[in-house]
Amino acid sequence: MSGAKPEFVRLTGHRAFTQRLVLSTLTGRPVHISKIRSGSPTHPGLAPHEVSFLRLLESVTNGSVIDVSYSGTTITYQPGLITGTVPGVGASLASDLIEHVLPAACTRSITYFLVPLALLAPFAKAHMNVRFSGPGVITSGTSLTGDLSIDTFRTAVLPLYGLFGIPPARIELRVLARSCPGPGGKGGGGVVELRFASQVRLPKTLHLNRRPGRIRRIRGVAYCTGVSASHNNRMIMAARAVLNRLVSDVHVAAQYDPAPLVGDKGSAQKKKIGIGFGLSLVAESSADGVIYAADEVAPPEGGVVPEDIGTRCAYQLLEVIAQGGCVTAAAAPTVLTLMAMGSEDVGRLRLGRDVLGREEIIGCARDLKAFGASSWGIRDAGDDEDGASELIVSVKGTGVGNIGRKVA
Amino acid sequence: AKALHGKRRPFRAVDLARFMYDTTLTPKEALLKWRGEDDQEDEEMEEDIEQDDETFFKRSGKEGDDDLREDRTIPRFDYEDLAAKWSNEDAVEALRNRFATANLLDEE
Repeated sequence: MSGAKPEFVRLTGHRAFTQRLVLSTLTGRPVHISKIRSGSPTHPGLAPHEVSFLRLLESVTNGSVIDVSYSGTTITYQPGLITGTVPGVGASLASDLIEHVLPAACTRSITYFLVPLALLAPFAKAHMNVRFSGPGVITSGTSLTGDLSIDTFRTAVLPLYGLFGIPPARIELRVLARSCPGPGGKGGGGVVELRFASQVRLPKTLHLNRRPGRIRRIRGVAYCTGVSASHNNRMIMAARAVLNRLVSDVHVAAQYDPAPLVGDKGSAQKKKIGIGFGLSLVAESSADGVIYAADEVAPPEGGVVPEDIGTRCAYQLLEVIAQGGCVTAAAAPTVLTLMAMGSEDVGRLRLGRDVLGREEIIGCARDLKAFGASSWGIRDAGDDEDGASELIVSVKGTGVGNIGRKVA
Repeated sequence: AKALHGKRRPFRAVDLARFMYDTTLTPKEALLKWRGEDDQEDEEMEEDIEQDDETFFKRSGKEGDDDLREDRTIPRFDYEDLAAKWSNEDAVEALRNRFATANLLDEE
């Protein structure tokens, strides 16, 4: 943990905000982030979802110190211990849950909070049980901010934790109420509960450098909240029209929910928000742990027919599969971070060129290095005909592991 | 196929490792450099790279002031391009060897 004189890792910009705070918490190094949207004339400083994420961090850790400057463009964060859910601290005594309420102005999907939270959870002292509620919980994907839907998170990101010796069987994600983005992409009304009961000492070293295998089957979830349930079938039909040529084993579940009712502040009247529909598709490969996913959701202003969402999602899935590699672009930061937090051994990961050659991944590499992880080694995966377009990233773990747990 | 790929000057793994940790470049500049799009390095490229370039430029043009851009988990796709690409029978057939329905005897 930080010594008497903490040495701040200094970073700038609002990009990869959660990723940076997670790295800071995991490595125990305090961080100083400046110039957060300082160039924005209308919305300088932290956005509502970022403030909410800071609050979440505060409730799952013990001893964190967060200072936000007056304008909100600079924050310093001194991480504490990741405690998880300890009764009486943060969690109410009656339940073993931390209740986290998201504000109505939140424009990000719930996975914006879940992805970083799931990165912290394996390293927590106790189980991490958090319930998200309030007028800002959006469980669908978001088209404006490009977040994953909760279905994709559950079926395509959480299973990856199994590769690190973090059993997904003990990770439970309950969607108690679904919601799409409300008017203007703001707010929802969903309720989501994450119970993360698999805490580990150190994640295992990952070797995912073989061929990514062949796609055996495609699964998915079509969801509508507050719109006609036939939208589900229309989306599924359109997606199948594209995919059935390639795989016969396509099963997409249909999930229909009524729109959540959210009360306005100060008025007894409740209104329905979070109406919309979307599709999440997941392709499973014959190789162990290789999952491709695509997500598409109707924009909050509407004007898109379900057939378009279905075909777009299917095309997006094909594009993601064509990019190749063992991990998709959406899941790569999670996997690479867990690899970097593993034991002091070199793990290997095979990624497509277009996956690795993204600004987010490069930012991730730089952030990891700033927090004391070693640089990645990158080489061509030229061992077969597919290998020409793919790269193998070697990540050396830092051996940070779980400070709260003494035994494995 | 191997010889063709060997000629590719941009997209080299070694270069990416170098640019990735060169903090004088922004991530975007590093990527542009890796793709060989920065200035002089525009030698003849394969067709698929050119396509990549097109989508890349279109994307960056649309986003405008990228300092204020939020980070996205799902990259922004140009669905018209995707639809054009994947309604083409050849592209779908080329992807078929990534699926279990592929004819293995033909391929190996």
